[in-house]
Amino acid sequence: MSVLIDILLAILVIYLALQSLLAPRLSQSVFLFFAFGLALALAWVRLGAVDVAITEAAIASGFLGVLFLDALRDFSPRSSEEQKNISTVQNSRSRNSVKSLLLPRLSLVLGLGLFLLIALEAVWNIPDGGGLAADAEKLLPQSGVEHPVTAVLINFRAYDTWLEIGVILLGLLAVFAVGKIQIYRKPIPVVDDILLRQVILFFTPVLFLFGAFLLYFGKTGPGGAFQAAVLWGAIGILLHLGGRPIFLLIPRWLGQLLLTLGLLFFLILGFLFIAGGATLFEYPPAYAGVLILIVETLAAISIAAALTAMFANLNQMKKEESNKIDSTN
Amino acid sequence: METYQIYSLTSAVLFVIGIGGVFISRHFIKKIIATIIMGGGVFLSFVSFADRDALAFADPVPHALVITGIVVAVASAAFALALARRIYQLTEEESFTNDK
Amino acid sequence: MTDLPISPYPALLVGLPILMATLSLFFRTRGEAIVGIIGSLLTAGLALIAFVEVTKMGTVIHILGGWEPPLGILLRMDPLASVFIGMTAVVGVFISLYAWRYFPAQEATNGRLPLFWPLWLFLWAGLNGLFLSNDLFNLFVTLEVIGISAVALAVLSGKSPALSAGLRYLLAAITGSMAYLFGVALIYGSTGTLDLKLLSQVLEPGTTTSFALLVITLGLMIKMAGFPFHFWLPPAHSSAPAPVSALLSALVVKGAFYILLRLWMEVFGVSLTYAAGQLIGLAGAIAVIWGSWQAFMQTRLKLIVAHSSVAQLGYLLMIFPLIILAPGVTADSADWLSPVWTAGIYQVLAHAFAKASFFLSAGIIIMALGHDRIESLRDLVGHMRITALAIGLAGVSLIGLPPSGGFMAKWMLLKGIFLSGQWWWAPVVLTGSLLSAGYIFMLLRLAFAPSREKAPFRPVPKKLEVYALLLALGSFLIVLPADSLVQFLESSEIFGSGIETILEGGINGND
Repeated sequence: MSVLIDILLAILVIYLALQSLLAPRLSQSVFLFFAFGLALALAWVRLGAVDVAITEAAIASGFLGVLFLDALRDFSPRSSEEQKNISTVQNSRSRNSVKSLLLPRLSLVLGLGLFLLIALEAVWNIPDGGGLAADAEKLLPQSGVEHPVTAVLINFRAYDTWLEIGVILLGLLAVFAVGKIQIYRKPIPVVDDILLRQVILFFTPVLFLFGAFLLYFGKTGPGGAFQAAVLWGAIGILLHLGGRPIFLLIPRWLGQLLLTLGLLFFLILGFLFIAGGATLFEYPPAYAGVLILIVETLAAISIAAALTAMFANLNQMKKEESNKIDSTN
Repeated sequence: METYQIYSLTSAVLFVIGIGGVFISRHFIKKIIATIIMGGGVFLSFVSFADRDALAFADPVPHALVITGIVVAVASAAFALALARRIYQLTEEESFTNDK
Repeated sequence: MTDLPISPYPALLVGLPILMATLSLFFRTRGEAIVGIIGSLLTAGLALIAFVEVTKMGTVIHILGGWEPPLGILLRMDPLASVFIGMTAVVGVFISLYAWRYFPAQEATNGRLPLFWPLWLFLWAGLNGLFLSNDLFNLFVTLEVIGISAVALAVLSGKSPALSAGLRYLLAAITGSMAYLFGVALIYGSTGTLDLKLLSQVLEPGTTTSFALLVITLGLMIKMAGFPFHFWLPPAHSSAPAPVSALLSALVVKGAFYILLRLWMEVFGVSLTYAAGQLIGLAGAIAVIWGSWQAFMQTRLKLIVAHSSVAQLGYLLMIFPLIILAPGVTADSADWLSPVWTAGIYQVLAHAFAKASFFLSAGIIIMALGHDRIESLRDLVGHMRITALAIGLAGVSLIGLPPSGGFMAKWMLLKGIFLSGQWWWAPVVLTGSLLSAGYIFMLLRLAFAPSREKAPFRPVPKKLEVYALLLALGSFLIVLPADSLVQFLESSEIFGSGIETILEGGINGND
């Protein structure tokens, strides 16, 4: 019975992945992708990886889904009429060159099929390496936290996690590089109605508390900085949608501080450890628990700020363009 | 067939679907979705191998790696999305014009 | 491994540039650039101090968090890593100085260009992190840091060709990373460790290991624009601002090559076959011919230089068939290994200096002319003597004429080829050099040709020309310490050794 559930879930995940690539309309693709993320999160629950499931649902499916939905505003309006033109052009083109296209396509599909067979064989025959569960279990008491995944993230492999917090900030800088810095511009609320504002007002404290709960709970069970960050980031995104962009409401230096706090504190702490004769990210055992909680809290704040800023910047990019067109006309 | 095997086979399928999608899909957004599907396959393989011999204490390392990996993948996808939107705003192109 | 001397430098080499990058975000335009240039100078200084430390103490390590592998992550700075870090520092500092003057001199400074500094420092941290890393997953994270910052730098101009090339580059980079990571998942699943040193002891050949090797190699080949995955490189490198083009082709593509070299040498020896080496060498050989031919056919300076990168990276791939020994051949009896490794390291260094100089010169020419169509290079010598000299010197090194670093690389490669008896690679090296001589001399002929009309050269800050020239000179000066450099590198475990293959034939390798 249990195996049956897994097989059905696996088929669903594959189906959704394929459909999100094959769907004729872009909006369908995005919604199917959203569903794919949720199905994958279920798969992770089945595999006992609750932390991963929360992360997947919150950031890969939730946050990215919101970014894609927002992007649809750019792409779809024209698509309905223009896609016809494009497809007729494509049709005529493909009619002219059916033979020249068929062969590369066929060989590509055959190649992928062959590649899939080798990949399946490789994962099927994988030797059992045993993993690091025993090492992690042995050293867990010295890590300052009780939840092994948190211990690996913030202590045993703190370096990776620190770099990853850097990657999020870097991703934001990259978004700035594409569309200039737009987070200090006043947004036009998507829907300006009282109900939405009430909903946002209601959700803000709920999201905040739930995030704080996940953060604190991460010490002993599934949860932690990343999951909390996405919930807090959702607050920023909701406020932005309601016409209250967080980066406009607070002074600029504070916004910059929020964005960089997690990365900077983690790093300066590490440098202090080095100055004290230890290595980077080598917590003094007596304070490990407290320091990890501070690091996680600040990291969550910075990631939340970065996610909010990413959304805000992407959301505003379009408006800058339309303003420019208006002013030139 | 055990649970982990179902999902590790699934992971290989997702990985190949993702690769195929990156090359075959035309629209920028679909190419980006394909990279995320590819990543989903990779992350699923990590976790499914970890589940193999989980008794009381599952291997936390792959779980942590996957959390890191998901966040990194999302940051790159957001960047790719920004590029795709900007290209569309400037040129109204939704796919690479002289694509393979 | 953990009994090696412990040093704080490896951690600082990653931490410092990120610290400065983050601090620079608190300032506006000029302040950001000031923090950025200070960050660059400090990072370069630190890299040189660390380099000297390694020459004195040998390989040093840094056990992050005090947790030893396999659970923890260890940074290792061995002679090979320290040479790559030193190269990044020297080339990086000249490009930083150039950028410091170049961006303010650009007329249309739109709102994005100040982002150059934090992005470049992130990139630098990523490169240092990659060279120091000793952990498969950590390598993935550093690859992502490099990939995102490199593409963000490449699209700084904000123009649509650059954005389009950037998206292509980014999609290729993500696909490459994910392929690499799939291999890592399989390796971790089958061994339970990510540490390179431990892996070399426990990894066993089998279908899973072979497949992991295949996807890791494919992923890294995409990232280093190895044939047939070179398609993203020319548009991305040629549409970026000049200092960025220099960074991308001199340093960024070397990162993936470095991992490929380390992993093949240190980890996957058990799974490699002679045929795999021949296959990747073939990819390199095609890249040499195709890239040089394409460069020869271009009419825009930056596109010539960008296509030439494809060819120059091809030479790097051609060392693999020579260091992967045929079954039965032992590393001790293979007398060609030393020249081949010398060729490899000199190809990396000479290309970094010469190509950085070339792109910086191209930036100067664009600044002076407003475009880079080569027919306008007429009488370059009369107007911009220093830049013409820089292009000439960098070109000589790219062709591989004596006494340049490029000559050292190609001469040693030919020597290795003949000593190993794999003579079939020799015509490729010679044809590549002839083709590159073709496009370099075409440029120089134009530069010396008298111009009929009054050339529209605008004045350019002299210092920019000097930085480009110094880098071009660097591609010659690196030959001077050749003996001591090779000796220093040979204290590295992998440098100068070969892969003794056990398996016959098999599916391993690229494509």
